[in-house]
Amino acid sequence: MTGLLPKERTQRFIRRLAAAGILLLSLAGGCQEKGDAQAQPGVAGERLDFPEKGAYTGAYIDFGDSEDAVTLDKIEDFEAMVGKKQGIVASSSYWGEQSFPTKNLQVISEHGAVPMIYWSPWDKPYEQGAGPDRFNLRNILSGMWDAYIDRWADQAKAYGKPILVSWGLEMNGNWFPWSGCYYEGKKRGEPAPGAFHMSGEGAKLYKEAFRYVVKRVKARGASNILWGFHANNFSYPHRTNNSIADYYPGSDVVDWLGLSAYGVQFGGGAWWASFPVVMDDPYQEICRLDPGKPFILAEWGVGEFPALGSKSQWIREAFQSLETKYPRLKGAVFWHERWQNKDESFSNLRVNSSPESLDAYRNGVSSPFWIDAARFRP
Amino acid sequence: MPNVKDDSFIFLDPRGKRWPRLRLSILIIGLVCFVCSVLFVQSLFVTPQLRLPSSVLRLKARLKALQKHDQPQSVSGPKRLWLQFHKKSSSKAPQKTPNHPIALSDKARSQDIRLGFYAVGSQKSFQSLKKHAGQLTHVCPEWMSVLDGRGTIEARPDEQVQKLAKKTGLTLLPMLNNLSSEARVPEAVEGLAGGPEERRSAFIANLVERLESAGAGGVVIDWGEIDPAYRKGLTVLLGEISAALHLKNMELWLCIPMGTELKAFDLEALSSCVDHFIAMLHDENSEKDPPGPIASRDWFKGWLLAMADYGNPSQWVISIGSYGYDWASGEPKGEMISFPDVMARAAHAGLKECKPEGPSYNPHFSYEDAGTMHTVWFLDAATFLNQARKGSKRLTGGVAITQLGWEDPAIWEALPLISRDHLAVTDLAPLQQLKSGDSITHIGRGDFLTVDDSRADGFRTIEIDPSGRIVERYEAFPSYLTVSHQGRSAGDEVAITFDDGPDPEWTPQILDILKKEGVKAAFFVIGQKAEDHPGLLQRIVQEGHELGVHTYTHPNLAQVSEERAQLEFNATQRLIEILTGRSTILFRPPYNADSYPATLQEILPVKLAQESGYLTVAESVDPEDWSLPGAAEILKKVKRLRRGGGDIVLLHDAGGDRSQTVEALPGIIDYLRARGDRIVSLGEMLRETRDHVMPPLGNEQPMTRMVSGGGFHVLYIVENFAWAFMIVATGLIVFRTLFIVSLAAVNRRKTAQPREEDFFPPLSILIPAYNEEKVIAGTLDALLGTSYPGEIEVVVVDDGSTDGTALEVERIAEMDPRLRLIRQPNQGKALAIVRGIEALSHEILVTLDADTHFQRDTLQKLVQPMKDESVGGVSGHAKVGNLRSFIARCQALEYTCGFNLERRACHELNGITVVPGAVSALRLNAVARAGGVSTDTLAEDTDLTLCLHREGYRIAYVPDALAWTEAPETIRALAKQRFRWTFGTLQCLWKHRDMVFDGKYKALGWFSLPSVWFFHILLAAIGPMVDATLIVSLLAGVSDLLYVYFVAFLAMDFFLALLALYMEREPLRNAWIAFPMRLIYRPLLSWVIWKSVFKALKGVWVNWGKLERTASVVGPGKGTSAGYAKGGESL
Repeated sequence: MTGLLPKERTQRFIRRLAAAGILLLSLAGGCQEKGDAQAQPGVAGERLDFPEKGAYTGAYIDFGDSEDAVTLDKIEDFEAMVGKKQGIVASSSYWGEQSFPTKNLQVISEHGAVPMIYWSPWDKPYEQGAGPDRFNLRNILSGMWDAYIDRWADQAKAYGKPILVSWGLEMNGNWFPWSGCYYEGKKRGEPAPGAFHMSGEGAKLYKEAFRYVVKRVKARGASNILWGFHANNFSYPHRTNNSIADYYPGSDVVDWLGLSAYGVQFGGGAWWASFPVVMDDPYQEICRLDPGKPFILAEWGVGEFPALGSKSQWIREAFQSLETKYPRLKGAVFWHERWQNKDESFSNLRVNSSPESLDAYRNGVSSPFWIDAARFRP
Repeated sequence: MPNVKDDSFIFLDPRGKRWPRLRLSILIIGLVCFVCSVLFVQSLFVTPQLRLPSSVLRLKARLKALQKHDQPQSVSGPKRLWLQFHKKSSSKAPQKTPNHPIALSDKARSQDIRLGFYAVGSQKSFQSLKKHAGQLTHVCPEWMSVLDGRGTIEARPDEQVQKLAKKTGLTLLPMLNNLSSEARVPEAVEGLAGGPEERRSAFIANLVERLESAGAGGVVIDWGEIDPAYRKGLTVLLGEISAALHLKNMELWLCIPMGTELKAFDLEALSSCVDHFIAMLHDENSEKDPPGPIASRDWFKGWLLAMADYGNPSQWVISIGSYGYDWASGEPKGEMISFPDVMARAAHAGLKECKPEGPSYNPHFSYEDAGTMHTVWFLDAATFLNQARKGSKRLTGGVAITQLGWEDPAIWEALPLISRDHLAVTDLAPLQQLKSGDSITHIGRGDFLTVDDSRADGFRTIEIDPSGRIVERYEAFPSYLTVSHQGRSAGDEVAITFDDGPDPEWTPQILDILKKEGVKAAFFVIGQKAEDHPGLLQRIVQEGHELGVHTYTHPNLAQVSEERAQLEFNATQRLIEILTGRSTILFRPPYNADSYPATLQEILPVKLAQESGYLTVAESVDPEDWSLPGAAEILKKVKRLRRGGGDIVLLHDAGGDRSQTVEALPGIIDYLRARGDRIVSLGEMLRETRDHVMPPLGNEQPMTRMVSGGGFHVLYIVENFAWAFMIVATGLIVFRTLFIVSLAAVNRRKTAQPREEDFFPPLSILIPAYNEEKVIAGTLDALLGTSYPGEIEVVVVDDGSTDGTALEVERIAEMDPRLRLIRQPNQGKALAIVRGIEALSHEILVTLDADTHFQRDTLQKLVQPMKDESVGGVSGHAKVGNLRSFIARCQALEYTCGFNLERRACHELNGITVVPGAVSALRLNAVARAGGVSTDTLAEDTDLTLCLHREGYRIAYVPDALAWTEAPETIRALAKQRFRWTFGTLQCLWKHRDMVFDGKYKALGWFSLPSVWFFHILLAAIGPMVDATLIVSLLAGVSDLLYVYFVAFLAMDFFLALLALYMEREPLRNAWIAFPMRLIYRPLLSWVIWKSVFKALKGVWVNWGKLERTASVVGPGKGTSAGYAKGGESL
């Protein structure tokens, strides 16, 4: 019963007779070309293009408690909401997960964006202010996590396409366990109380750990990673030896400079700081670290607190500034999340926390200044 | 002249041995065929031995009850969140009796509220509502959602519940929540609460309009996760909604969540504008929380008392839960399950008993399903009655049931007991029975279905303890008709399946795409189609895809007999085995493959399949590509359903134009991959190897397989032959038609100009007559009135007529000397002609039938070709003169477009096969050379014509030489006439079979005679059967291709008729007869042919031949000549 099938042939013959007739009648039908307008996702070996003009629009889109539940659904919903595709999609890879987020990266790059990974040496239950854990800077430097770092590097290399990595972000604050203030040598996990200056020991450790991790990953051949130095806009506590510059590990291990710059995140009578206030000076400050490296606003956002100020106005002002004031700006990642605080109040940093805020964001991001797909060059 | 010998009669079998021999062989062949068919069919009844792989465990083996780990239930203990919500202060003890004297007046009325929460689109919700509407006062369908901060409302109106509410007098209170795909959207409410007044009023106007048009009595608002910062705005918003509703005589009801979410609601202020609060006294632990009680005793009491501090007690309706949650360890959230689902799990896990104990007093148990730990907490009739009795003492407005379709059926017996002051044990007796009924329960997750139908009732004891509380103990769990689900895998696995194929056009295109993308899919094939396209089935398997059974003919298995169902499975399975060397355990039911069959009808196919050893593969992503929504829409639907968690995609690779499916497929694959999904085979989903899902054939049942294999093979060959034959026949018909039409056209052009008539030889005219008394005079009048310039003599041979034929002739002969009468005893037409010829005096002979009228010019036109010495015979043009009946009209058309057209063409080729006795001219010495008129056949004219050809004479046709003949007017007479013709023709064909494809006879041997064999005998015999098949197929809706075919044939008939009528200058309107002719006239001819063939094969019974030839069997024709059966047009 194999081989030629006379019946199929005869049936095809009849069909062709019929089809020929129909075809003659509809010669004008023409043929449609299937346009492939989809953004070209990055290919292994290609490098991310930091745009000459404009900047990538990006977001962190409420990816859950460990900030790594990346789904296409969330990305698509967010894009539909803001009316623009994303050039950068940010998510985390906490060391406590002991894994490499290959699937997340694939979803993001398949979608045409470049992934930004906050690679944070942090352990469960990921509570801010809890102080150093098993992934503390000293342990890292002692080689305790070499195997994990190597594994991570190998998988990053295997993934192959460009990744923006922010290791140990907001180190000049006092909430993450890798912050310098936790390594003052006195009481473990506590910033020196009352002192007006810090010893600088913590910043030194941080820099060493940063260099250690980056060099180790590079040694494994993961050259597709673009390393970011991602500080908080303001230092907490505001002391000597705790400035952004104190933590800079050196231009040989840094590919881009980054900042977190938020407006008010918690209610309760806080002073309403406008975007230029939280951004202008820190931008100048971080740019002084290197004369040429590109700058990415690695986190930005503001809570919806109608009693304190207008979020929509804040966003409008932010977009105005971003387009005009920061020549080295190559990307900005909006922090889209709503959470409940311990006092049961809510912090709503979502882009749609109110219709007005959403409108402001949609308007701002619709400018051609904002680039909606990652660009690559060979 | 040859001697008349009976033995020479064609097909005559004087010894009569042919028929018995033939009969025996037919019998033997028939018997063999019959036995083979029986064996084949029987082989299909032998069920292939399928073995479900171990992973497809039966429920009993799968579920295992676990020892109850009495985890400390700290959840409700230390938190005591409700204490924060007492109005005055948390320390103040709740008052024993509420201080709300105003409430008393309307207390009695409002206490009657019985609200049912209704899940839109859920069949079980509807069934419950329908059954218990009489016990309810209000129904609240989950109907509307506010989606964003602008107040956009998404509605899912449910006409079913709307109608039912109207019919039963229930007040419809649609719900407005702030859920979007199961997640709360607080911004939607906050945007309204904090937004400008215009936004709120637009939203409210929209809401009121929707409620009004639905005929609702108000709205139930269920808003959650609102930021308490919007508390004030929310109060304003609800106040405005309430005012707008009250204007329209509608009510505002508000769901009050228990927990910190409550902070957003200013109950004190709201109590003045909200008609009813619904205290949501369940979901202490919701599906998103870790496992725990749904409404533990302390929690319930605590919140109840806290709420009692607000508003008027009669303003409060308490919502009481009656459902369960099943939390599987490792899953992000639990599954809300119905009470029967809870019972089914307990029963299948083999749980011995279950007794709710403190501190929660909520029933719960744990079980293990294939290694995964599950914890089930639920609320039943006992908790319902306890809570309702306790609650309605404090909050007196009434009771709401969460939710219809999920509830313990016994709560309906408990409802009347809520307000009873003292309960007796006997009151509770009805609650003890756990009836199995016809509930359908589901266990597990995934689209691979098995069914367990071990229905049994259960029992629980229900008693009243000294404190007046109801206590219960489950002693025997009921079991239900349970659908067991499997295969819900890691979140990123998806399978693509195709139904209804294989199809020669679409399946290969789909296979090409799958190959290019490196995707393995599953094809659920229809046996019938697989049999037609065996190569495709093999390709599917070779390329690594899976095959499943989708039945043989795609019936709804719920509506066919069990035997038929068996046959549907086995035939398809056998076919797959024979073609691919593998069997399959996969089955997908036709028509309904929904993952959650809700009716017995839908479950039946699953059960039948399971009994035959199959695993049913349902679907959870059905983009309905068969409805041709467009490729973009197909992709959109796949996206939506995949986002909803569906993981088996159903597409179709046959059954119509699947170009949209083909177009959508690459996009679907791209989308799934972009999500990070892995597209896996069904086997991978089941964690089974390919060899388990599609086991290679071993040595079992070799005989059965051989028989069914051979049967399918024969079936395949026969079908292919039939198709090929049809194609060839069609081609030949078209070719022949074109050929004849063009030749006839050539002939017509030649004969159109009047030609000079200068040849008037003396003529002998011969009329054989038998019982022609009525018509002979007319015939002779017409004949003798001829304008023929030459000499004529007319000889009538009276073949022993029993009427006054001879007298009539003699009477006329007296007046006209050109006429002579010869009489002989009755010997038949052929011998009458032989006798007549002997008496003729001229060289050229014209014959006509006794009922045929010549025109005045017929003779001179007819003889013109005789000028040419090589012409042995000339045929005139007979036309039907009596157009009184339908049958006669059919014949008229047949004469015109069949005989005449064809004869014109044959004239051009010198391939005329018959010079009809009705109107012909013959050269006497040619007749003599051809052996004279023979009595070998019933068609002596045909026989003679062919003999003339043998002698090398040309045969001519003169279309202008018209003769009007009478056609039979009844079907019976026609059948008789045609039978004679056909039998005669068969005899002549047989006698002259050597002429076929003999180069000597050119057109006659290569065209005319083969075409008589093929078209006039073979096709005419089977044509109506093909027509019938076509019609049946059309009625069965098999293929639109056949439709085209059929219409094309009818059109061809019609146009041919038009053309012929045009050529003969007859009225074109007669062409319509072509349509009924095909359906009525043709079957008649077919029957006649079969009869003739049959008689020929039988060897003609000797006497019959004799009788036929002496014409004494021919009875009087109605209203027409009583004479000879007319000869002449038989070819």
